[in-house]
Amino acid sequence: MEPQRKRWKGSECGSDSWTVYPVLSDEQSQDLELVEAFAAPVLNKKETSRLLRELSSLYPMSGLQHIKRVRTVKGSPHPLEVLLCLVRDAPHMEVLSIDSLLPSGVKHDALGEPFRVKIPARPPLTRPQFEQAGKHWPTSFHEDKQVTVALRGELFTAPQKASMHMHMMSALTAAKAGSELGMDAVGAVVVDPSTEKVIAVGHDCRGDHPLHHAVMVCIDLVARSQAGGSYYFDQYPACTFTPPASDTFQSPPSSLPYICTGYDLYVTREPCIMCAMALVHSRIGRVFYGTASADGALGRKYKIHTQKDLNHHFEVYRGVLGEQCEDLTSKVEVYRKVDY
Amino acid sequence: MGTEESFYPSEEDIEKWMSRAFDMAREALQNGEVPVGCLLVYNQEVVGKGRNEVNETKNATRHAEMVALDQLQDWCRRSNLDVRCVCERTALYVTVEPCIMCAAALRLFKLPVVVFGCRNDRFGGCGSVLDVASADLPLTGNTFKCVSGHRAEEAVEMLKTFYRQENPNAPKPKTRKD
Ligand SMILES: [Zn+2]
Ligand SMILES: [Zn+2]
Repeated sequence: MEPQRKRWKGSECGSDSWTVYPVLSDEQSQDLELVEAFAAPVLNKKETSRLLRELSSLYPMSGLQHIKRVRTVKGSPHPLEVLLCLVRDAPHMEVLSIDSLLPSGVKHDALGEPFRVKIPARPPLTRPQFEQAGKHWPTSFHEDKQVTVALRGELFTAPQKASMHMHMMSALTAAKAGSELGMDAVGAVVVDPSTEKVIAVGHDCRGDHPLHHAVMVCIDLVARSQAGGSYYFDQYPACTFTPPASDTFQSPPSSLPYICTGYDLYVTREPCIMCAMALVHSRIGRVFYGTASADGALGRKYKIHTQKDLNHHFEVYRGVLGEQCEDLTSKVEVYRKVDY
Repeated sequence: MGTEESFYPSEEDIEKWMSRAFDMAREALQNGEVPVGCLLVYNQEVVGKGRNEVNETKNATRHAEMVALDQLQDWCRRSNLDVRCVCERTALYVTVEPCIMCAAALRLFKLPVVVFGCRNDRFGGCGSVLDVASADLPLTGNTFKCVSGHRAEEAVEMLKTFYRQENPNAPKPKTRKD
């Protein structure tokens, strides 16, 4: 029974066996934060617009433009409820009452008993955040449709996924080749998505040099493909680059070494902080990785691709052939535990 | 001679080697190159001396520190010394704060101490953008100590001069005093 099962599992690894998710910024992925406010039911609906006008000039609730001032509560005798003010902006009062919240100038006999309510402190940036926020108080939402679809794991079409599958398979093959030479089992592939051409394939070579992580190897191979580069990886058959076709290759007009502009990187394991920053310096287009790493800098420990102070940002996706990439890493970790 | 833990350059060492790093930076500036001077010093000997090689290699990671680390490795090979043992007692002297990538590379080489001149507000990895030097990253080598601010204004001036001349590849400093 056992071998049968294994064979079945092995043949199942089509591009529908994994899901790719975006690695979003902290702002886009953080949990809901709430702030306390006072609200009251509107007893006379006809007074709503006057109340809103007067309340927003009295208590503008600055920084909370995403909050809708009025909500509708279904099934309540007075379904409209209006936000009066934030608790922190309210005057000091012994007992909560409309009289102490609103000065005499505001005619408030159209308002019922005030109550405390928690409202979302920040504008929602993603649909999950929007849905979370809405459970507390309605907000506006400027939806980025691509992010919504990406968060459902549905951003890429079947042919796109098939091509991602193929590239990550190459990275996995390179990782295994490196691992057989005693390197960490990490592989990477750089692809020009506009032509689907593979520019470079590399694996970890840190047995020779502590900085020759798969990503660093690939960046140098890309430089070599453009008649640059600092190292020779020729002794590693699985580290390759595609030399430019002599008739089509033109040196970029400027000599700027932003050689990965527009390219995609596939790497089996989430890059470390050195590699992530090397990708910023190289102006990578997008990064796809298989599995997260404890020190990872594109999601786990840092999100270098969304770091505000840096001058280049890029999209990152995780989970391409996640299980196979994970297996690769855990094997290495077991091996390491024995080793040390 | 102290133990590994107490390895730390003396005031005289800092004065002497930073002055050499500044000479390098000035020389680079005169040649129209990124004015960053960078030395790895082991046992009163320069074992790595990097200059920015980004343009000629088309490899955007060839910062002076990365070049110097390669030289250190070659030096160890030639001298038949263990890289790890040498690094434990090597200091980096550099006129500008290493970037995030280079700071991580220094961790991976397990260098104990970095002496730098001015801050690198665009890319700095020793506190300006991120503090990779002291971050908790158990799979990324060792943390290292930083000695900062040595002749900072002079280092900033050189970078600004270079900028006025051209090239967008250098760390762009702001004249910020802290
Ligand atoms: Zn790395
Ligand atoms: Zn650097």
